[in-house]
Amino acid sequence: MANSVVKRLANGVVAINNPRPGRARQLLSKYWLHYIFILPGIVLLFLFAYLPMAGLLIAFQNYKLRPGLSGFFTGKWVGLANFWFLQDKYFWITLVNTVQITVFRMLVTWPLPIIMALSLNEMRQLKLRRAIQTVTYLPHFISWVIAGYMVTQVLALDTGIVNMVFRSFGMEQVLFLGEPQYFRGIVILQSAWKGVGFGTIIYLAALSNVDVSLQEAAMIDGAGRFQRIWHIDLPYIRPTIVLLLILSMPGLMSAGYDQIFPLQNPSNMAVSDILDIYVVRLGFVQAQYSLSTAIGLFVSLINLGLVLGANKAAKMLGYEGLF
Amino acid sequence: MQRNMRVNKHWNKKFGMFDLVNTTILLLFSIICLYPFVNILALSFNTGLDSMRGGITVIPRELTFANFIVVFRNGLVLNAYKVTIARTIIGTVTMLSVTAMVAYGLSEPALPFKKPIMIYILITMLFSGGLIPLYLVLRGLKLTNTFSVFIVPGMFSAWTCMVMKSSFQQIPISLKEAMRMDGGNEFDILRHIVIPVSMPMFAALALFSAVGHWNDWFSGAYFVRSNNLMPVQTYLMHIMSTDVSSLAEKMSLGTATTANVSADALSSGGISKVTSMSLKMAIVVIGTAPILLVYPFVQRFFVKGVLIGSIKE
Repeated sequence: MANSVVKRLANGVVAINNPRPGRARQLLSKYWLHYIFILPGIVLLFLFAYLPMAGLLIAFQNYKLRPGLSGFFTGKWVGLANFWFLQDKYFWITLVNTVQITVFRMLVTWPLPIIMALSLNEMRQLKLRRAIQTVTYLPHFISWVIAGYMVTQVLALDTGIVNMVFRSFGMEQVLFLGEPQYFRGIVILQSAWKGVGFGTIIYLAALSNVDVSLQEAAMIDGAGRFQRIWHIDLPYIRPTIVLLLILSMPGLMSAGYDQIFPLQNPSNMAVSDILDIYVVRLGFVQAQYSLSTAIGLFVSLINLGLVLGANKAAKMLGYEGLF
Repeated sequence: MQRNMRVNKHWNKKFGMFDLVNTTILLLFSIICLYPFVNILALSFNTGLDSMRGGITVIPRELTFANFIVVFRNGLVLNAYKVTIARTIIGTVTMLSVTAMVAYGLSEPALPFKKPIMIYILITMLFSGGLIPLYLVLRGLKLTNTFSVFIVPGMFSAWTCMVMKSSFQQIPISLKEAMRMDGGNEFDILRHIVIPVSMPMFAALALFSAVGHWNDWFSGAYFVRSNNLMPVQTYLMHIMSTDVSSLAEKMSLGTATTANVSADALSSGGISKVTSMSLKMAIVVIGTAPILLVYPFVQRFFVKGVLIGSIKE
């Protein structure tokens, strides 16, 4: 109430300043600074988000590189000819490689932070608990390149810890990154190493709100540790769990260029060549701009479908949607 | 709070089997998280030739600073470091300023045309033109192969804008109106109310942006060609697959300006024990050290950062 009075007063001041206050003019004089604040954002999005969307037109052209942006509209139109990739075996190989990594990765990296958060929540040595949190958050903050170096080093022949242990037990050393059958496992373990600790933050925040009297009541009733976790903690964080699962859906089409590329080598290509890398290679190395864009468009559309689907699923389950 | 304390006290009485197993597993995972860092640190301070024998885990066997000396004398590495530091600072400051202005403008409840502008922003979060069209736009705008390509496209972040907007909207309007009544303009409101109140949020967002800039190797690999513009992470990516035997040689030659010092360095005693592997480890340490150094100081912002990120727009 008070606000609206103040606002009316403020409008009154504006009206006095303007002898003939048209509504548009009145609003403009009140909000022009807001629009100036917003303008750079609109311009930047136009340049770096909407112009590239216009650039998707080259998926339907035979685009040749030329200076400026005129090329987007002047390329030779070829209709859907670039979409022959849908019949290309190699495209499907990279798609399958991508989905195999993302699905298995999600099956591991979705539940692990929940388990770890519940586990940390049970720790009562607060200093030790804080130390563990500090250490396990750490890998989140390094780049995938460095994470790649670390994986390579840990798995290296002779100098890596894994092979050193193998050797000390008299076992044969294994060139892990050279064997396709280990690749997905390595990627998933790397993801878990990098993300699980950090992933606990959101669950721990939720768990810190669990009503202590519930815990006490359960304890008086003789509930054990696991029973309390199962019947009190877990139901409490269920909305968070579901929401994060839904949020991770759109990631299914991207295995992550940053993560996979540093680990890729000729001997694991058969499983490590993913869509993201294929698109980059077609575009930047082979200069097949139109084909690369066509594949990118296909992936973007599936992604959009996944986001919208996930949003709808969230709403159907009674959670607030994302938008 | 008090209830919590009481329960904790009660629980503290017993450290049972469950606690033992639980704590052990968590400690094991912590060791797994930490080991690669310590291992690489140890290797970077060990003479390269000795490291080849294997067996280095957490402490160096033949302590040396040679790896770092060679790396720091390399013009390319130093330059890459400068590029990374510059883009991290400039990129973060410009992004936060531009995005905060936009978010502030949009946080005005009665702003006409607010909805269409929000939809305009939201669309970019749902759909993108993809990599090649973005590259062609950057190229068309003559941004490729300039330092600006690291900064300008990222000056506005839609996600950050949404986070800031919902945070700004929680600032009581009465505070702003009081400022306006006292004759303050929007800049005064920003400077005296909005920014001070939002400092912890800015710190968290700055942290995420800075880490993103520091760790990005992709734009350095594909959007610039000149060696002078190569960030550290891109450099690390380039040398990752470089032939092991040629790297030490290549680095010691480096760019023309550093050729002399490096040749001196190579001829002086201990440096000859440097291998490409030990050099790589030293560069990895240099590329990670700043993050590890600021880590303890920014840790308290993590929780805030993660939680504000989960705010619905």
